[in-house]
Amino acid sequence: MSAALELVGVHKAFGRAEIIRGVDLSIGKGERHAVIGPNGAGKSTLFNLITGRFPVTSGVVRLHGSDVTGLAPYQINRRGLSRSFQITNIFPRMSVFENVRCALLWPRGYRYAFWRLLDRERALTDAADEILDQLNLTKRRDLPAGVLSYAEQRALEIGITIAGGADVILLDEPTAGMSHSETDYIVGLIRQVTIGKTLIMVEHDMGVVFGLADRISVLVYGQIIATGTPEEVRANAAVQEAYLGAALEEDT
Amino acid sequence: MSETALAARPTTGMLRAASPWLGAIVLVVALPFVFSDSSAITIMNQMAITIVFALSYNMLLGQGGMLSFGHAVYMGLGGFMAMHMMGWIEEDGLPIPLPLLPLFAGLFGLACAAVIGTFSTRRAGTGFAMISLGIGELIAACSIIIVAFFGGEEGISGDRTMGPPVFGVEWFTSGEVYWIISGWMLLSALLMYLFSRTPVGRMANAVRDNPERAEFLGYSARWVRYISFCASGFFAGIAGGLFAINYEILTEENLNLATSGAILLMTFLGGVGFFAGPIIGAIVFTLLQTVLSLQTELWALYVGALFVVTVMFFPGGLTGLLTIHIMPWRLGRLSELMIPYAKTLLPGAIGVLGFCGFLEILFHARHAAAGDHEMILFWITFDTHGPLPWIITAVVAGAGYWLARRNAPELKAALDHASAPDRMP
Repeated sequence: MSAALELVGVHKAFGRAEIIRGVDLSIGKGERHAVIGPNGAGKSTLFNLITGRFPVTSGVVRLHGSDVTGLAPYQINRRGLSRSFQITNIFPRMSVFENVRCALLWPRGYRYAFWRLLDRERALTDAADEILDQLNLTKRRDLPAGVLSYAEQRALEIGITIAGGADVILLDEPTAGMSHSETDYIVGLIRQVTIGKTLIMVEHDMGVVFGLADRISVLVYGQIIATGTPEEVRANAAVQEAYLGAALEEDT
Repeated sequence: MSETALAARPTTGMLRAASPWLGAIVLVVALPFVFSDSSAITIMNQMAITIVFALSYNMLLGQGGMLSFGHAVYMGLGGFMAMHMMGWIEEDGLPIPLPLLPLFAGLFGLACAAVIGTFSTRRAGTGFAMISLGIGELIAACSIIIVAFFGGEEGISGDRTMGPPVFGVEWFTSGEVYWIISGWMLLSALLMYLFSRTPVGRMANAVRDNPERAEFLGYSARWVRYISFCASGFFAGIAGGLFAINYEILTEENLNLATSGAILLMTFLGGVGFFAGPIIGAIVFTLLQTVLSLQTELWALYVGALFVVTVMFFPGGLTGLLTIHIMPWRLGRLSELMIPYAKTLLPGAIGVLGFCGFLEILFHARHAAAGDHEMILFWITFDTHGPLPWIITAVVAGAGYWLARRNAPELKAALDHASAPDRMP
């Protein structure tokens, strides 16, 4: 079985500063994979390389076995990879409903059509409303997305990410800046919407990581120092030394 | 109306959606019978052409987030094409009836936008604005160089009456042409509205708000901008064709930066955030341009001041000002606003009139023929070289401004209070 997502020898340098220094990673279909590591380790940069936001300096990224290195974000998205952002990245002036509907358009084959009226597409409207229901945002349906609370915007962000039905989903710190109850809500949501999908997430909250992930990779200074099940990673001496000891103490 | 109610009675929903359009049709048909003198028809023709142009401009600015300083290019090019076709109809007997001419002008505008858009829509923001400015200058300069197409400084003129008659109508009068122009105006406005409801129209909004996110949803921001740009060029071209039919002459003035600036100004004045905004902007601007310019030579100064005030205090434009009253109106609380409005707007209006009076006296004193000291303003005759009129207008302007400013917070509070859906009784 080919991996859902595979990175081979990925390097990224900004000028002379090497941020990602040779990452090899293989994530299987249906796996929930977490990338952890200290601040500045290059986790978000890694996401940006996978999704085509930044070009890689060298190395190869494969999605379902096909090479996607150097493709534009929209081309990678069309091949079934979707992502969320660490800093909420929605369409603030459009309604919550419109936000979700926009995420459904391309995957449902509407493309650049200027001869179809969206308000007449009953199935599309129903699908968007169903996602809003899943996100618990039905009451906010017609409000501009920019006026939602922080947690609601984060939920919408995840909703937009999963709406199109992509089978590889990247979430960048989905619970950043949230209270405990909000975190529980988001984790429940992630669990629910990623059933049967491949999930890769960057997360600082160790409770969330160890609760959700099947496997964990630890990224330190642009290199992966360990990959394995939560138990293996927890027991790994190098990880203990570099990162996890401090992080786990902090968390408990 | 809630979703379930819509589903239960789809015909009611459609009727509601269609009612503004039915109203517009009735209005367009009724207007020439209400205002039947030729100067009114002239103004209405100009208004309808400007509405199409302004709506096409807002496809870029309001819906696509592209600030263009050279939109007159597409209207002008479409118009020049229409003038040439009018010439071919006259000389070579090209069998195209006049009412179809705007379609070809639109297609020519579309073709030009399709070429220029390939490089100008690569970026939004400053890059797009700068390229549009450059193209605007370039085409305006070409109009003097490429004489065969643009006719040099005197432009291209023609005769619209030479084509095959349509139901016996030969388009001699502007009253007859009104039906071509207003018909195309309605059709174009409807098509532009429907465009905004299509997948690519919605994605134009998304790309305006957040181009990066749109890319991560499978859409190329550049391609979305390009399609909006081409559609906008098409409708600008139609406006140009209507202009050619109405005036039977096009010159460099129709595609230069001044015209591009004016369309930006009136679109913003009307409100870029609303579909109806450019329509209101075009109507108000055309009225100011035609009616106010008969009253005073300083009309451009007043329009400029109005624009600056709008940008500074009412970024939603005139339509934005109207929409903040929808909520109080729905809640039946418009009457609560009467007194605060009287307290703010009345002194404000008097202050503005005082200020305008001051400017008019200044202008008269400086620019009237030597020895002509007499001026008539607000039905009062006085000597502009005496101190009294200056003092009176200055005091009125100052006092009006002071009172309006003092009472403005009260009006704002009253508006907020009247808009709050669930307030304590």
